[in-house]
Amino acid sequence: MEFNPTIVAFLCNWCSYTGADLAGTSRMKYKPNVRVIRVMCSGRVDPTFVYKSFREGADGVLICGCHPGDCHYQEGNYKCLRRFKLMKKYITQMGIEPARLHLEWISASEGKQFAELIDSMTARIKELGPSKIKTVVETLAI
Amino acid sequence: MEEARIGVYVCWCGNNIAKMVDVELVTELIGKLPHVVVSKNYKYMCSDPGQELIAEDILEHNLNRVVVAACSPRIHELTFRKVLEKSGLNPYLFEMANIREQDSWVHDNREAATRKAVELVAGAISRVQYHEPLDKRSVGINPATLVIGGGVAGMSAALEVANAGREVYLLEKTEQLGGMVSHFDLTFPYLYDADKMLEVMIRRTINHPHIKVFYNTTISEVHGYIGNFETTIQSDSNQEQTLTFGNIIVATGLRPFDASRVGQYGYGRLPNVITSVEFEDLLRTGQVRTKEGNIPQNIAIIHCVGSRNTEFHEYCSRTCCQVALKFANQLRSLLPDSNIYDLYADMRAFGKGCEELYTATSKKEIIFMMFDQQHELPQIIKSVAPGDPPMLIFFREKISGLGLEIPADMIILMVGMEAHPDVKDIAHAVGISICSNAFFIEKHPKLDPVATTTSGVYIVGNCQGPKGIPDSVAQAKAAAARVLATINQGSVHVEVTTAEVNETLCCGCQTCIMVCPYTAIHYDREKKVSVVNEVLCKGCGTCGSTCPTGAIRSKHFTDQQILSQIDGLMKMALKIE
Amino acid sequence: MKEETSQKPKLKLAVYWGAACGGCCVSVLDVHEKLLDVIAAADLVFWPIALDIKYKDVEAMPDKYIDVTLFNGAVRNSENEHIAKLLRQKSKVLVAYGSCAHMGGIPGLANFTTKEAIFKRVYEESESTVNPDKIFPQTHFDVDEGTLELPTFYNDVRSLNQVVDVDYYLPGCPPQSERLLEVFTLIATGAPLPPAGSVVGASEKTQCDECKRTKTENKKVKRFYRPIDIKDDGVTCFLEQGVICMGPSTRAGCGVRCIVGNAPCRGCYGPSEAASDPGAKMLSAIATMIDSNNEKEIEKVVETIDDPAGTFYRFSLPSSIIRRTIV
Repeated sequence: MEFNPTIVAFLCNWCSYTGADLAGTSRMKYKPNVRVIRVMCSGRVDPTFVYKSFREGADGVLICGCHPGDCHYQEGNYKCLRRFKLMKKYITQMGIEPARLHLEWISASEGKQFAELIDSMTARIKELGPSKIKTVVETLAI
Repeated sequence: MEEARIGVYVCWCGNNIAKMVDVELVTELIGKLPHVVVSKNYKYMCSDPGQELIAEDILEHNLNRVVVAACSPRIHELTFRKVLEKSGLNPYLFEMANIREQDSWVHDNREAATRKAVELVAGAISRVQYHEPLDKRSVGINPATLVIGGGVAGMSAALEVANAGREVYLLEKTEQLGGMVSHFDLTFPYLYDADKMLEVMIRRTINHPHIKVFYNTTISEVHGYIGNFETTIQSDSNQEQTLTFGNIIVATGLRPFDASRVGQYGYGRLPNVITSVEFEDLLRTGQVRTKEGNIPQNIAIIHCVGSRNTEFHEYCSRTCCQVALKFANQLRSLLPDSNIYDLYADMRAFGKGCEELYTATSKKEIIFMMFDQQHELPQIIKSVAPGDPPMLIFFREKISGLGLEIPADMIILMVGMEAHPDVKDIAHAVGISICSNAFFIEKHPKLDPVATTTSGVYIVGNCQGPKGIPDSVAQAKAAAARVLATINQGSVHVEVTTAEVNETLCCGCQTCIMVCPYTAIHYDREKKVSVVNEVLCKGCGTCGSTCPTGAIRSKHFTDQQILSQIDGLMKMALKIE
Repeated sequence: MKEETSQKPKLKLAVYWGAACGGCCVSVLDVHEKLLDVIAAADLVFWPIALDIKYKDVEAMPDKYIDVTLFNGAVRNSENEHIAKLLRQKSKVLVAYGSCAHMGGIPGLANFTTKEAIFKRVYEESESTVNPDKIFPQTHFDVDEGTLELPTFYNDVRSLNQVVDVDYYLPGCPPQSERLLEVFTLIATGAPLPPAGSVVGASEKTQCDECKRTKTENKKVKRFYRPIDIKDDGVTCFLEQGVICMGPSTRAGCGVRCIVGNAPCRGCYGPSEAASDPGAKMLSAIATMIDSNNEKEIEKVVETIDDPAGTFYRFSLPSSIIRRTIV
């Protein structure tokens, strides 16, 4: 059976979520593999959310925020960037392919870029194959 | 936590959702989830009967949570929250799943779109169980208004607010009011005198008892929130002054594109290649002469300079075609025997009286020729042979495909408009965003073009996007009306999804203090805990994910709520598989 | 003369160790002279390190016979799991005692590897091993006298609550003996106990609340250091000196003993109640402290944090969300 990745995405309300909506109002088509969770700012994305997504079976996790300098709340996206970098290191240590966690800046007017991002990330995750995290954690105990 | 009794409503949105998402199936599958008491679908949930449906069910089934799967929450979250409120439920016990903009409209596989919808709704259901009632909070409104920019848009807005008896502070960057229009000679399409129009406006502004104008003043940091803003300005007298106001109207305009960037037009090298702005100034002297003082015999106007070109700006600057037509008319009047060439990429003459202007102009023996903006821009060269006209324009006429050479004593470049270099600073100062073209972003491009996502801050005139005088004035007055309405209400609701510190858990590490861009968190030395000022807090949640103990809760976006959303979403994903 | 009957029947107390170092058992002894009070109030019915009571004696006990069992050590093999389940059956109150039982503890770091890799290293590759026939431990081995058995070595180390229901958690590596006494006194005097599943013997607040170092709002770090790389002034908050201290995300209750000894907290008392992962919030806080908005600079600072997984999950890897390396 063909592998259809599930990507959990955290989108900030002001820029990336609006950009994703714009892709919708413009009727752009993209792969149906993303599941969006709205937060007010990418600075709200707690590493716990990322780990939980992976743990519950997400094959990829995407974080989107406003472009540097354009954060609706001034600097929340920079905080997000710092956490993203440290999280990358941690998940790599845990044997999770680092490409499964991705950060990209999407502005409110970048509907096309959002659509392209979902397509490219879906393709990339497809290549990596299904995430083994859930199965390993649940079955490797013994 | 009380046991959740959830009502789920899946919207068809006519055909918009139903075409690609099997709403009946979604309703059925969701209805089987624990705590879902009611699961229905309806053609238009946002309509009156749709809203009634929810209201009735809340009473009949004793619902304490509601989920609507429909369009983006950015469209109707408020609509449905109001329904809950009217039915006696706290409006925050509500969650929306976006199955239109982010599902039915963007996928072309019905099975995949339906599956996605089910998972998104499952996530919403899981999340909403952890929603808590939040009380609305109101703040008073300082009736003064700050207007940034003293051009036509800024002055129109200022006058409209001031005429209603409210104080206005008008900040102008230069030493005089008027903006770009102070360069204009006549306005299109009716060729009214710009000076006269502007003079009246400026006089009214300066003399108005309720308007205070600050010249040579720019905006730096603005603190506060709607109804309660504060800023410190430095005027030319170098005195610092603190202003407080309740609303901000940004009218900072645009500037002309720098034509020297288009090398082949020779601007800056060839003295008689001038911009439209410079030509306006020339028109105001009453005499059109070359730099050498001669009467030009051959005058060419070139459209789209710096516009509609991926190398410079992709957008159209909207007014230049009509200004060019205006120039052609004025040139014909001033120099009846001259040869006037209008080289255009397209002729955009929309709006009242403009097509008529085009028709009238075309009858004045003006040679209109089209070039291809994408492939071959005209080239201007300085003639060397004696006896030749001073400049030659080489270009390919698009319709015939012929390569032509046009003589020119004077060339007018119709430069587009572009953002001022300090636009990022202004955006940062008042807390709004700019788009990729550096125009300020409006709250909604169709339905709310003067408001921004920052409450109390409005954008009018060119700074929101290139436009002519009538549109600028319309926007300015619209923003003024909004401001006056807010002032009239006397108070406004502010963000309630703020952060709060659990003082039992807070250890006083102070990691959160400097994280807040609104300085909404301070350290209480006596209690040895952090405290959030919920009026300053804008609810971004950054402190919530900074706190190492989890003492800070970002209301309505708590860890528990988001984790349960992930849980519900992913568990449904695995179930469907 | 009749023997004086005690007012109350003595509490039946058991102490058991799974995958442990013995430190928790020592911490019980560390109550010193108060041990006499403990013995006065309790009957120790099972304590392998101190008493010669056998498994079969425990199996023979009626269900819920033991009032309180302090189970320390992680669940690393089938014996640990079996006895954990046995003691759950025989105990009214089962306490996960110490970091290993609470969160997996130091043995939990084995979740960075696998049974296969561990066996290979220990029985084949280690420098002092001579094992040319590659003989590995077996769970069953037949000899003339019968079958010898060894517990199954599990691939994953688990915390106690991942195999049985736990009533209380008494954290620490080891728990501070004073805290044990406090909890014991609570139980012994029949005082109302907190709801099942609570952490006892530890504060609701984290270390910073009790730490005597000076803290300011200036939590901005240009790079991180190991404790030995800095000249600690003994007064400034470790974080403000660029040394990772788990204090802000670790419950107080140990008397800030590491910090008093001028070492940064390592997190053995576990997270506060609001954390759904024992290390994620500290990772987030540390990353937030990075004093830069430039991507390349941030990467450079991240490079100075040698081992995020080991640092943030030193005592809690098995109880974290991802729990083990994905192999």
